[in-house]
Amino acid sequence: MARLTLERVSFWYPAMGRPALRDVSLAAAPGEVIALVGNVGAGASTLLLVAADLAPRVVGGKIEGRVNFRGRGKGEGGRGIVLPTPWTQLSGMAFTVWDEVAFGPANLGWPRERIAGAVDRSLAALDIGTLAARDPATLSGGELQRVVVAGIVAMEPALLLLDEPTAELDPEGAGLVWRLVRALAGDGCSIVVATSDLDALPEVADRVVWMEDGVVRRIGAPALLAEESVCEAGLATTVADVWRTARLGAPYPLTVAQAERRWRQ
Amino acid sequence: MAAVNAELRFEHVSFSYGTVPALRDVSFSLAPGERAALLGRNGAGKSTVLRLVTGLVHPAEGTVSVGDWDTRGRAPESLARRVGSVFQHADQQLFARSLRDDVAFGPRALGLAAAEIARRVDTALAALELTAHAAEHPYDLPPAFRKLAALAGALALEPAVLVLDEPTAGLDRPLRARVARALADSAAAGVVVLVATHDLAFAAEVLERSLVLDRGRVAWDAPLAALLTSSERLAPLGLAPPAGAALSAALDLPGRPVRERDVAHALARVAAARGPV
Ligand SMILES: Nc1ncnc2c1ncn2[C@@H]1O[C@H](COP(=O)(O)OP(=O)(O)O)[C@@H](O)[C@H]1O
Ligand SMILES: [Mg+2]
Repeated sequence: MARLTLERVSFWYPAMGRPALRDVSLAAAPGEVIALVGNVGAGASTLLLVAADLAPRVVGGKIEGRVNFRGRGKGEGGRGIVLPTPWTQLSGMAFTVWDEVAFGPANLGWPRERIAGAVDRSLAALDIGTLAARDPATLSGGELQRVVVAGIVAMEPALLLLDEPTAELDPEGAGLVWRLVRALAGDGCSIVVATSDLDALPEVADRVVWMEDGVVRRIGAPALLAEESVCEAGLATTVADVWRTARLGAPYPLTVAQAERRWRQ
Repeated sequence: MAAVNAELRFEHVSFSYGTVPALRDVSFSLAPGERAALLGRNGAGKSTVLRLVTGLVHPAEGTVSVGDWDTRGRAPESLARRVGSVFQHADQQLFARSLRDDVAFGPRALGLAAAEIARRVDTALAALELTAHAAEHPYDLPPAFRKLAALAGALALEPAVLVLDEPTAGLDRPLRARVARALADSAAAGVVVLVATHDLAFAAEVLERSLVLDRGRVAWDAPLAALLTSSERLAPLGLAPPAGAALSAALDLPGRPVRERDVAHALARVAAARGPV
């Protein structure tokens, strides 16, 4: 049974004539990592807002079609979203990073020991234990992004929605986030992530959804990121793109490792 | 383009936020037209360096100067005559009713004549291919376009020094290419370009020098290509080679190119020499 189902969903922002999503259908199974790729304005962020039940409920606008989410039940993590604007996601109620990360779990009404365990695990997963006593308002951009991800993950969501979660992270931080995504999927969490870090996807995503102008163009395995039409749209992995520019012939390798194997043949 | 050319110079600069030390004894200088990447882990001090350049904060010890101006005692409004900046989350900092008005804000604050403001705004919008969006409300555009608009606002100051914090975060390939072209043009006109970024692929395309901060200290200051071709140098600084450079190393391409186009050319040449792949 899918955790998230979108059936023929169209969505219009307030006062916009053109829909930001058109006739989008997608299902995410428990334990599945789905990556949304597309150029700016393609609709990936909007799809996440719809899946999070923020659009139209909070942002306004109009929706057609059906969105269905099956959580794990009351008092358990439901759907959590990490927005591309981390500073808008602070509770404003916490004077330390630890309390900030505890804010979500506390609102789920968990017992204190469970909250403490979840917060400590989350801080460790993002390697920000040393920031626990800091005031969240004084963090650097990348530190803040890690704190926001930690706060959402601490709620043990059944559906995790991520919008450019590694945009401000250093390579170690990005690696931590991608490993965490795989680990959470291993525990049955469904993850939908919009990202421009295309080179990370062969290792991270089970399926890739290519969006363009509010429409789903293709859904497929990460190998999609080496297909000719995807290359033309500027959404191939770097290795596929370089291989194609060098006119070495399709199918293009996706990753450095694949390229190396082809090269040595 | 730049009204004046000026060198950017840090001399033994230290800075703390209260009890949190951010920079220790940082020294470097960038000549007019130089393009440098400011690299390092989250929290290494990159944004702090940029804040010092713009006068948002001032050194506790040492000196930051832009040409013959010491930033000490100068407010950001005064430094804006020489320094253009775009900070992380710049897409949240627009407030005018149209993109055009937002880009015009800086030149207007400099007290320039209307015709000169219009010329600079047109030039800056064109440099980032935003002319078609000039009349639109910033919040009707995706955040990535607002980020480009913030950069256009900085270009419209026609500064001697341009400092940018994570300018490509959340941008797709076509938009990154626009930023790359605009920065290359600025540098060609003598502007000092300093970019704090984790996007090493982007850095490889446009930037030539690399300054790496490690816990507030300058741990590396040398040509970027020399850094990107060496995993042994990158790893201890918390950096990883971008895919193009990694491919170049894995296939042992001659000259170890790091820019994607150069990697493709080298690949094509070697492949042609050794027959079909
Ligand atoms: N306003 C602030 N108050 C207190 N500490 C800060 C503030 N801004 C940054 N810091 C701290 O200063 C150090 C350097 O931060 P920053 O220059 O933002 O790093 P970077 O841009 O390289 O990620 C970090 O330890 C960060 O937490
Ligand atoms: Mg920063």
